Amino acid sequence: MAVDHAVFWYGCNMTRHGEVIRATTRILELVGMDAAPAGGPASCCGSPKEASARISEGMARRTVTQFNESGRGQVVTWCPSCHMNMQDSMAPVTPTKFETVHVTEALWARRDRLAPLLTQRVEARVLLHAHHGFNGRVAVNDLVPALLRLIPGVTVAEHPYRSPGHMCSSLAAVPGALADAHRATLSAMSETGTGTLCTIFHSCHREAVALERHGIRVRNWIHLLAESLGIEAEDEYKAWRNAADPRAAIGEDRILAAGEVAFARLLEPELRKPPAV
Amino acid sequence: MTLIEHIRAESARLAGLCTACGGCVRACPMTPYAAGVGAADPAAVAFGMRDLLRDGPGTPAALAWVAACTRSGICTPACPEQIDAAFMLRLAQWRAKGALGEAPRIPVKEDTQFSPKVKAFARLTLTEQEQAEWL
Repeated sequence: MAVDHAVFWYGCNMTRHGEVIRATTRILELVGMDAAPAGGPASCCGSPKEASARISEGMARRTVTQFNESGRGQVVTWCPSCHMNMQDSMAPVTPTKFETVHVTEALWARRDRLAPLLTQRVEARVLLHAHHGFNGRVAVNDLVPALLRLIPGVTVAEHPYRSPGHMCSSLAAVPGALADAHRATLSAMSETGTGTLCTIFHSCHREAVALERHGIRVRNWIHLLAESLGIEAEDEYKAWRNAADPRAAIGEDRILAAGEVAFARLLEPELRKPPAV
Repeated sequence: MTLIEHIRAESARLAGLCTACGGCVRACPMTPYAAGVGAADPAAVAFGMRDLLRDGPGTPAALAWVAACTRSGICTPACPEQIDAAFMLRLAQWRAKGALGEAPRIPVKEDTQFSPKVKAFARLTLTEQEQAEWL
């Protein structure tokens, strides 16, 4: 099998979901892509500092330069914000030596290799957690269901509801918007009789996992693919977020490794945050 | 080219194509979350947004609308001039946040602990080798 060499640009906030980075990299490898993961602050699109074009440009230029110097001909994106920023503000300012493709496009293009590997049955009737925003660039609202339908046992319900925004992090910044979107999503699940909400993006997943308190399951599309492929991908973030005591769920040894002060100040408030609805 | 030059050039290009008809405002799902926009004339809101792209002050309703943009992108197919209206809003939001060095005209919600938080989560979910190779 011919192997394509790429960078898997997973973005920043995906570090909450290490198992998704790991599983996606493995799935890409299985379909013939040697995709080296890159992300975090050192590979930033610049959006966290978008109130200053000068700072944002510096961060973005460093990332494009790093990808150019990798010698890999493709950058496979995960994050819709990173993907759009690459097209809108990064590549126009710093010329690129690579093609940018979204991970859903990369996997769909290799579906002939992927489908025979999806051997484990996954019993799930799912509603896709879809947004309007990114679908105009990459047809994720069609590609993800098409990939899910390759999994034996998975059925994807049709419903017209689409959340505003490009992913839930943008809604979370507008008072009331995320709660409205979650209420509409739960209504759509009730109307379709679905028990599993399938998220596409990381920021949606981290907000949606708390909806499990409403008696549904929340899984990312990579979790479903990984299960069918027999790849271990335990959703620890979901367990922590829904635990009565996240600190106990994580364990003191791991908290010490992460840094007690950093955990207490930066992570614990998010993990204890009440759900939007 | 710098990002500032890119933002200025694209702002001028798209402002030149925009007729401020208000089609983008009518299509936007976020107007209920933008103070004063629901009661305003959509064309007037679009006019204020276009003014931001032309180095103008905009209007209170336009600034509220730009601030509420979550990149839904529904405005783009709604534009009769076939402008990438979503990108036009993105440019307006950059400018309203003060990206070109001016004082911000809309709230800037910048998390100063963003990078430390990303790294702290990485220490929880990635092995030391993965952190060394992937971050």
